[in-house]
Amino acid sequence: MGAELGKYKSVISARSTDKELLKHAQDGGIVSSLFAFALDEGIIDGAIVAASKEFAAKNPSKVIIDSSNFDMIEPWRPIPAIVNTKAELLAAAGTKYNISPNVALLKEATRAFGLDKIGIVGTPCQMQAVRKAQLYPIGMRDVGASIALAVGIFCMENFPYQSILQLVEDHAAMKLESVKKMEIGKGKFWVYGKRGQVVQLPLKVTHKYEQPGCHVCLDYVANLGDISTGSVGSPDGWSTVFVRSKIGDSVWAKAMAAGVFETQPMEKVKPGLELVTKLANEKITKNKATLEARKTFGVGKALRNPYI
Amino acid sequence: MSKVVEISPTTRHEGHSKLTLKVNDQGIIETGNWCSITPVRGVEKLAVGKTPEQVPKIASRVCGICPIAHCLAATEAMEASIKCEIPNDAKLLRQILQLANRLHSHALHDILILPDFYIPGTETKINPFTAEEPVRTVAKRIQRLREIGQTIGQIAGGDCIHPRNTRIGGMYRNVSEQAKTKMYDLAKEGLVLAHAQSEFMIAVIRNYHKRDFVDVGGMKVPMPKDLGYHSQGYLATHPFYGSSSLEECPTWDPRRFKEARPWDWYMGEMTVDLEEPRYPIGGTTKAGTKVNPQMEACTGIPMYDGQPVEVGPRARLVTYKNFDEKGTLGQNVAREMEYQDSLYEMLDCIDELNTAGKVVADYIPNGDGSLGWASNEAPRGTDVHLARVKDWKVQYFSMLVPTTWNFATCSAALRGAPWQLAEVIMRGYDPCVSCATHMVVLDEDNKLVAQKLIQ
Repeated sequence: MGAELGKYKSVISARSTDKELLKHAQDGGIVSSLFAFALDEGIIDGAIVAASKEFAAKNPSKVIIDSSNFDMIEPWRPIPAIVNTKAELLAAAGTKYNISPNVALLKEATRAFGLDKIGIVGTPCQMQAVRKAQLYPIGMRDVGASIALAVGIFCMENFPYQSILQLVEDHAAMKLESVKKMEIGKGKFWVYGKRGQVVQLPLKVTHKYEQPGCHVCLDYVANLGDISTGSVGSPDGWSTVFVRSKIGDSVWAKAMAAGVFETQPMEKVKPGLELVTKLANEKITKNKATLEARKTFGVGKALRNPYI
Repeated sequence: MSKVVEISPTTRHEGHSKLTLKVNDQGIIETGNWCSITPVRGVEKLAVGKTPEQVPKIASRVCGICPIAHCLAATEAMEASIKCEIPNDAKLLRQILQLANRLHSHALHDILILPDFYIPGTETKINPFTAEEPVRTVAKRIQRLREIGQTIGQIAGGDCIHPRNTRIGGMYRNVSEQAKTKMYDLAKEGLVLAHAQSEFMIAVIRNYHKRDFVDVGGMKVPMPKDLGYHSQGYLATHPFYGSSSLEECPTWDPRRFKEARPWDWYMGEMTVDLEEPRYPIGGTTKAGTKVNPQMEACTGIPMYDGQPVEVGPRARLVTYKNFDEKGTLGQNVAREMEYQDSLYEMLDCIDELNTAGKVVADYIPNGDGSLGWASNEAPRGTDVHLARVKDWKVQYFSMLVPTTWNFATCSAALRGAPWQLAEVIMRGYDPCVSCATHMVVLDEDNKLVAQKLIQ
């Protein structure tokens, strides 16, 4: 197809040089390191990330939640939060594998949180929303210019919270509270327990729990991020990084100069860019079929393909 | 032999209004009628039956110039009716929001009145949009002051035009420590600019009023020393914020308020017989046009103790700071003097604000139908909202807005001035006409007679 990886200036396999940070990170610690660096350098003065209930309990002023039903918030429910320091970043690090409404905090970040330069991380669809907010700022007055760094993450599809509950508690037979980490890799959904147990579910099982709305998305590698990253294509503990925009390029160059990341050329690593391309094409082909099928839905109007 | 001249529409202010003037042979106004011709908004009718948290949001939409005052006055009227006390930090956030709006609005008004004035020492009228100095610096400063006001408003109120952070019982959320610092820094920057701006404006305003003649569309018009003088009273409820209790502010008592109908107040049907094509922009209304202010006016005439009163910056300064300059000069100077006041007050509020403090009341009652009112000192005067809330439904809602008060007072102030300067007098009130237009009009027996306007 050719356009499945979007436009990018460079692609590289990278991992954070911060050992402490890597302990908290999902893969190569790219997002956390990048935001920590950008916070230090004043490129951003706060970042919107997906945090957890524990984070919200410790930092009530960093989130917007209705505290009257705080006890009812479930474990592994992502809560969008504003972080201003590396310590807070680390406390919020790690992939949650269900939907975190980060964009919902975008406007408030420029208001009650008083940010001038926002860093935001999100899935491809969230990057689309961020760019739309910049292009057509309806209800988003003065927000667009405040977005200083948007980092996209690779996304095949997402799960609603109820799906994660079902997958972990029923299929993996673990209590959500006792889960240490969740991961998708090597064609499986992995659940790591706090006591050391590991459960792997074939992705065949998880497919029916995917969010149906994800099946019309034709973006795998966050084409609209300043920088987009994900584990696919790089060895364990490393991440593949696409540097896409001028902003992304300048931030990445500064971070590299400061020694924040160690890198390997993408051509040298296994499985390499071929796998990213293959998965991207898989997602696009599969979802195009859904788009085709939906042409017959409802009033008979097909969803517009946003990429042509 | 008096003649009738009409300036319609009036320009460089918010809304749609006109001046119908009866002038003598020298062109001096004998009777002036300033009336709103903006169509009725109907907010007061829309409000009935809604829940109290909806109404302030609707009321705010009456206009985009002082929506903050409407939103806050409506919110506090509801709170007064249901008898809800809000936490101190919520009050501080509201005050910051209100002052930020005042800063922005006064700066905007400067842009609107500047074309009337001269660069001191010259015969050149100020064009605020020129690229030439010294005006360019002033225009940039005005825009920066507005930006500062709007940004602080955004932080404290969620949005600077129609704030979404306000709610019945306080505010939805407090601001972060970072946001507090940002507001403080902005206010500090604003203070420096405000000093410079008010000094410049006061110099320009005084220079204008000291002149013997001023130019209006190529006409040489004598400048009276008592331009805009009137002998009506003043009404203000707080030096900068507002009040919703008679104990706190004994000067505003809803029982002393009455509203007259426009057809009892304004002039009746007349024919325009003085036409001046040179009057900017595009000349006055053509001779022979029939005018009827009585039926065209879309406002009631509010009276306090049976008389129209003036509200606005001068009223605030007269009431609370022994200000004594009168007329249009006094009004414009008072407005400029409020720049620094609003920023100093804002800095005090930001200082006092505890970002970890609670901003929502613990208990928000449903309301028993008693009358609550709240005044809020909008940039252009006292904005009073009255409400009755019973079982979390609004039964009655009324807005007595700043420019409604000023319509009748300004009409009185027009007397004795050359008709070419009528708009200058009117602009001194910083009119915001669209909210002034409303249709709940009571007769002497407190009966609703607004139907007559609709007929």
